Amino acid sequence: MPYRYRTALGVALAAFTVVALAACRGSDPGAQAPRTVTIYVSTDRVFSEPVLRAYERQSGVTVNAVYDTEETKSTGLANRLLAEQARPQADVFWSNEPVRTLVLKSRNALAPYRSPNAEGIPTALVDTDGFWTGFSARIRVIAYNTTLVKAADAPTSVFDLTDPRWRGQVAIADPRFGSTSFHVAALYAAAGDERMDAFFRGLKANDVKIVDGNSVVRDLVARGEVKVGLTDTDDVNVAIEDGQPIAMVLPDAAGLGVPVMPNMVSLIANAPHVEEGQRLIDYLLSRDVEEQLARSEAVQIPLHAGVPGPKNVPAIDTFTPMTLDFTKAAQRVEDVTGRLAGILGL
Amino acid sequence: MWGWRSSRTVVIGLAAALFVVSCVLPLASFLMTSLRGAATAFTLDARQWGLLVNTAGLGVGTAVVATVIGAPLGLLLARASLPSKALLRVGLAAPLLLPPYVVALAWTYLGNSRGLLATVAGYDALAAWTYSLPAAVLVLGLVLYPLSMLAAEVALRRIDGRLEEAALMVAGPRGVFWRITVPLVAPGIMAAALVVFVLAVSEFGVPGVLRVRVYTTEIFTAFAALYDPGRAALLALPLLALCLVVAVAAVALLGDRFVSARRGAGTPSALRFERSRALLAGITVVLVTALGLPLAVLAREALNSRSIIAAIGGSSEAIVNSLRLATLGASAVVGIAMWLGYARARAASGLGRLADIGLVVLFAVPGTLVGVGLIDIWNRPGPFGGLYGTDGMLVLAYLARLLPVAVLALAASSRTIPMSHEEAAAVSGAGWLRTMGRIVVPQMHLGLMAAWLVAFVLAFGELGVSILVAPPGETTLPIRIYTLIANAPSSSVAVLALLQAGIILGPLVVLGAILAHREVS
Repeated sequence: MPYRYRTALGVALAAFTVVALAACRGSDPGAQAPRTVTIYVSTDRVFSEPVLRAYERQSGVTVNAVYDTEETKSTGLANRLLAEQARPQADVFWSNEPVRTLVLKSRNALAPYRSPNAEGIPTALVDTDGFWTGFSARIRVIAYNTTLVKAADAPTSVFDLTDPRWRGQVAIADPRFGSTSFHVAALYAAAGDERMDAFFRGLKANDVKIVDGNSVVRDLVARGEVKVGLTDTDDVNVAIEDGQPIAMVLPDAAGLGVPVMPNMVSLIANAPHVEEGQRLIDYLLSRDVEEQLARSEAVQIPLHAGVPGPKNVPAIDTFTPMTLDFTKAAQRVEDVTGRLAGILGL
Repeated sequence: MWGWRSSRTVVIGLAAALFVVSCVLPLASFLMTSLRGAATAFTLDARQWGLLVNTAGLGVGTAVVATVIGAPLGLLLARASLPSKALLRVGLAAPLLLPPYVVALAWTYLGNSRGLLATVAGYDALAAWTYSLPAAVLVLGLVLYPLSMLAAEVALRRIDGRLEEAALMVAGPRGVFWRITVPLVAPGIMAAALVVFVLAVSEFGVPGVLRVRVYTTEIFTAFAALYDPGRAALLALPLLALCLVVAVAAVALLGDRFVSARRGAGTPSALRFERSRALLAGITVVLVTALGLPLAVLAREALNSRSIIAAIGGSSEAIVNSLRLATLGASAVVGIAMWLGYARARAASGLGRLADIGLVVLFAVPGTLVGVGLIDIWNRPGPFGGLYGTDGMLVLAYLARLLPVAVLALAASSRTIPMSHEEAAAVSGAGWLRTMGRIVVPQMHLGLMAAWLVAFVLAFGELGVSILVAPPGETTLPIRIYTLIANAPSSSVAVLALLQAGIILGPLVVLGAILAHREVS
């Protein structure tokens, strides 16, 4: 082999090897820690990270977490889980709304696991097949600016938002993504296509502002750019704690019922660390975690009876929740997304 | 003779293999897997036409705005007597450091019904324009004009001053400028405009915030709302076809000048501008609008933060990761692109033009498609699987996104080095590698530095692919910012966005100082 050939090859391979080895610092469980678990989390990082760090301290297990962005900022962890399905990296998936979990279930990306800590959670919020368990719920609410709207005048139903007095003063997050997509699909499942198509046409005629996410809705309402908006309890609570002029109404308490969205936790099919994954699920479904999430700015409503609820948000037994078949609601998402693209011009 | 060819073949062949593995395989894998399972056939209906018109409008509009702002600034930096030119260059190039999404946010804070403009004017001055295609064009133009500016400055500095001197003997300065100077710099400016076009049509954040329906937002919807990669693949095809058409047109128009630039003969140009109030006022307007306003709006938001230290706290690991990985990524990108750029510069005309077109199209591929393709290739049992779940995936992500444009840039740099230098070295008995190391690369050093800096800035801010392949338990600063945005107050988001811009300002300042030193010497 000519000298120059060997030199050229050697230089090139050496350079590549140095760069590759320097770059390859990874989370290899076997090399770095005796016990690890990997969780993909779509619940907001500011709320979920403290819970997972507490588990690390308590259990001695290293938690490798992958957090998600707001639903309109990136394609989300559900797509990553689906792409990795042939060789999963995650052990557990913690979702903050049902649609992602139910899509994963329908694509056989989850494995059944019935945690002993699910005892006491209402059966409607636990999958009958064992693929997911609900905990720590949020509510979809109508937020309003307290400087511009008196409490007595605030809308009490989502259907009030098509009233001309709210023209140009309503904001909603893009209904194709996140918790809003779940809410919309649930409304279609509960109220029927005709009524909901008419509702969204009415919203469009009322110059509804469609924005990036629930936190943007909250910000618009708090700043007074719009008077009312559809968002989640945790988003509104962040602004209330920040002293901003905003309050919330539980919509349709006297009608269809208030939409309740539990967090959902699931074991990933063919997870690399099944036992550690199951232990982490047990922890997340514990009363301690529900109490942590209730006390935090997430103000998530405990589903275990007897766990103290959050301030600023009513307990779950004080209002009528919407009767929901989560699977049916999730099945409507694609169809509803297509309908709304046409009606709202998305 | 055989040894000479052999070492070149090995090195360039290895670089080409790395390019194929990094850039081509992920896209090919994604398209093959997704199109096979695509449930819906593609039809060019009214919605699709609307997307095509909006996407093309965004790309062309941004390229025009960026060129209209950037090219004159490049001319001034190259030919005008300006105070503190190095500092001015850094300031004028700084908008490129701001994440486009954040600039779009600043625009909405400025232009909404209760924003700064409405407060000052007393009424909603921008009304329907705040969320619109023209707004997206303006925002992206203001972020990307530095590319046109730097390309124009480099092209102008490479003009042999003797050509203009000779022309001045028979024509006035204005005539020389339009008949001699402009045709010489036009290819460089047009090449930069093409890069701006591709960056604009493959951008998601700005049209997403400003509610403009373009192909990237539709592809995003296919993934995030419908979990349908087949649909996403179908939607990517018109986007790639659009870039293919534009690339073919650009290459046909420019020919080999697409990646070539004249080599400066060292003779300074006779056409210069004297300092004037009008010039300085114009530069000030650009600085205030493109840099000052977004930073001021962000700073105003950041000051509302309950605790700036708390907002930054916990980000140190992410900052270190981003710096480390962006450095590695930029080095890997330049390390591979250098050889391929050289090969492109020396390639036969037809093959070279085909390569240019392919590189432009690859650069336009949306990050999500690349990310899913990378997972498909590397997340499997065997030796490939060993890399998955490590930092190496992020370096691969940067290679996939940035290699194509780095190859184009370094091809232009290589083209300025005369073949006669290599021939002279060969005649003297130097092998190819020795010639590259002693003759070619030293002459490319400025181009290599600029390419490294641009790759570093883009790698540091990369999100679309990173969020899909970052190893669990590890994060970069953009990922941290975006995962916190969801429920952190906008003030905290503003703090972290300013932090990101500030951190990557460092290399820009260094380059500015080096350029200033070259000007003085």
